[in-house]
Amino acid sequence: MIRFLFRRIALTLPTFVALMFVTFVAIRLVPGDPVEVRVGEHGISPERLAEFRHQLGLDQPVWKQFFDYVWRLLHGDFGTSVVTNQKVLTEFFTLFPATLELAFCALIFAVGIGIPAGAIAAVKRGSTYDHTLMGMSLTGYSMPIFWWGLLLVMFFSERLGWTPVSGRIDLIQYYFEPVTGFMLIDALLSDQPGAFWSALSHLALPAIVLGTIPLAIIARMTRSSMLEVLNEDYVRTARAKGLPPWRVIGLHALRNALIPVITIIGLQVGGLMGGAVLTEYIFAWPGVGHWLIDAISRRDYPALQGGIMLISSIVIIVNLFVDVLYGTVNPRIRHGR
Amino acid sequence: MKPGLLMTTLGMAMAMCLAAGAANAKALVYCLEGSPENFNPALTTTNTSLDASRHVFDQLVEFERGTTNLIPGLAESWEFSDGGKTVTFHLRKGVKFGAVKDFTPTRDFNADDVLFSFNRQLKADHPYHMVTGGKFDTFNDMDMGKIIQSIEKKDDYTVVFHLSEPNAPFMANLAMDFASIGSAEYADALTKKGTPEVIDQVPVGTGPYSFVAYQKDTVIRFKARPDYFRGKPAIDDYIISIVPDPTVRFAKLKAGECTLMGFPRPSDLPEMEKDKNLQVMHQAGLNVAYWTFNEQKKPFDDVRVRRALIMAIDKAAIIRDVYGNTGQAAKNPIPPTIWSYNDDVKDYPYDTEKAKALLKEAGVTTPLDIDLWYMPVQRPYNPNPKRIGEMMQADLSKIGVNAKLVTYEWGEYRKRLQQGEAMTGQLGWTGDNGDPDNFFFLLGCNAARDGGQNIARFCDNGYEGMLQKARQSTDKEERAQLYEQMQTIAHDQAVWFTIAHSVVYEIAKANLTGYKISPLGRHEFAGADLK
Repeated sequence: MIRFLFRRIALTLPTFVALMFVTFVAIRLVPGDPVEVRVGEHGISPERLAEFRHQLGLDQPVWKQFFDYVWRLLHGDFGTSVVTNQKVLTEFFTLFPATLELAFCALIFAVGIGIPAGAIAAVKRGSTYDHTLMGMSLTGYSMPIFWWGLLLVMFFSERLGWTPVSGRIDLIQYYFEPVTGFMLIDALLSDQPGAFWSALSHLALPAIVLGTIPLAIIARMTRSSMLEVLNEDYVRTARAKGLPPWRVIGLHALRNALIPVITIIGLQVGGLMGGAVLTEYIFAWPGVGHWLIDAISRRDYPALQGGIMLISSIVIIVNLFVDVLYGTVNPRIRHGR
Repeated sequence: MKPGLLMTTLGMAMAMCLAAGAANAKALVYCLEGSPENFNPALTTTNTSLDASRHVFDQLVEFERGTTNLIPGLAESWEFSDGGKTVTFHLRKGVKFGAVKDFTPTRDFNADDVLFSFNRQLKADHPYHMVTGGKFDTFNDMDMGKIIQSIEKKDDYTVVFHLSEPNAPFMANLAMDFASIGSAEYADALTKKGTPEVIDQVPVGTGPYSFVAYQKDTVIRFKARPDYFRGKPAIDDYIISIVPDPTVRFAKLKAGECTLMGFPRPSDLPEMEKDKNLQVMHQAGLNVAYWTFNEQKKPFDDVRVRRALIMAIDKAAIIRDVYGNTGQAAKNPIPPTIWSYNDDVKDYPYDTEKAKALLKEAGVTTPLDIDLWYMPVQRPYNPNPKRIGEMMQADLSKIGVNAKLVTYEWGEYRKRLQQGEAMTGQLGWTGDNGDPDNFFFLLGCNAARDGGQNIARFCDNGYEGMLQKARQSTDKEERAQLYEQMQTIAHDQAVWFTIAHSVVYEIAKANLTGYKISPLGRHEFAGADLK
């Protein structure tokens, strides 16, 4: 097990190096730099332009900028935002709880509905329910997040008035200092009646929007994995033994069918982080996705580089964790068989 | 009645009163399109960031709400001496600073605060100069470092600015946000604590609201100040909700989660106008979009050619098809919201036949090949430069002018244009302070150089003389007359094909009263109320 763990960790190192390089280069391929974005048509004297570029290190050769960036990163320095002058790490961890809360709730929504829906579809294979569910999951998977988000806002918030349009809590009714950064927990800690429900109602639509694609994937994966397992001998044996159907499906079949689904859930973390960028923008959700979009428009190189590195690190670590978990659940993987 | 019961009853009554008070408190939510960079107006350049801190501060002179007129602010009065090179400000007495969580001011506003606020930007060795990076962009962009020679404290309520030369726009500069007055006492307290950077994160000023809290990318809260020198604002809680997407801002406005929003999507305007629960306010923006001719390149040195090309373009079609209701046709280099606007100027008509005749008169043989540069990006004054370029190209072909459309990446485009590379090109300008000089300098001789803003390379002795005279005069009437004449010269010389001024829209709930849309793009709620 330890050898497996070391092998997996060793494999992540080239990923980190490639990530550093791609992040650095990709940002610089976008036209305009932090100085140009600031200048506008007002123009600027050549001396001030040179001073700005020097302050930001943009007057250095690109290779030197890259090595400086890697050197700082290796020392745990993610840089300072050129816009806010705050440490990138501080900004990231101020906003990360909001993204984590949203992603976690979206995942609960996706897993909580996706697994039972996929299992039922497999059991009722070929039925109207199966066809409808698979049709819906295909639609959910193909849905552009931006469009889907706005559609839900128009229907549930504008037309029906059931949910708030955006934000994390009713700003006029409730005010408390953040303690954990997780609004649901902070609302409970605030002791303000109704604050928790306000936070929950604000979270509902963004979590549904962000969870839709993972839900579709998990449902489809559970269905196909269940179909495979339902034909196994041990399931037939369990049925032959006269076990009740819920016990055969719930205990014998589903438990084994979930092994590949665990990997899929792990892979969704990357998708959730990517989806969070758009979801947070639509719902004015103050997470790292929203922050990254701001950084792109302002060409805030340190914030962008640092933010992408941190998010990617989280995705890599979660995938590593899932691999290890999978190795534990399925020893054949661990032993390379 | 038992004492315990009496106390309980009284306590409940007090709690009910407090609850009622809280319920009656008026709260206004402004849906802002982005997050602020910090809370020091001297360190930011965008209106988005400035809106986030504006209500905390005052300036020595201020813009009258909804106009670009100057009125006394923290300075009650001022006078010029030494031929306009010295300005003496007499400061208002009894003005209090607002309190924040970790600081309660112990003294009133005085000259030390003025010196602190300006010297922080002016002097590189000031202890607060480099706090938060030392990028005082607007101060430097407005050349304040060159204009101000020194600032002197005569007494606690008299401050003297010594200028390097007479400069009339200086007063308008002082009304800009970067010239906001902060508290020197607060700075001293933060220095003692060893946290000077907090000055730009938790602002303290003399403005109508005091800062309460900022949750990054979410919400900024302010509380009305009962001791504000102009009286307590009618709205008790001013809340800024950060909502980047215009569709979502509109949805929030309809749902009552916002009181006012800016920058609506043009396609939402018809629906907004129909909604009885909303009020749609609009005004010409402080900007101008133009297409200009490089007078150093033939045949554009001939005014008849420039006039011909201007008359060949159907401006009304551009406004109708590109701007819709978000722009108004421009005929002068300044927008109508700026004082000294000359409404007597008659725009050139759209007349293809006359244009052809003028080209012939100038001896130009057609087809004439020119290049027409269009901006690669949208700007506040130009929503679709490429489309406008294509429409111009089509119109010009009708008089035998073949225009080749050219563009570059935005930074490169501007650089090449300012180096005089283009024959004709699109550009625009957004004003800073509502002073006419801030627009007219674009056609001055000093700007007609490589890297300068005058891409027409227009340099007229009459115009330049008036520009300098107006800059040095402190008589507003005299300045206005000079600027009116300069508009006539710019028109007669056909320097620019003035395209449009954008129209700025702001949408509010119908119960918002007393709010005035600002030509400077500011959002100010101190005089507003909720019905």
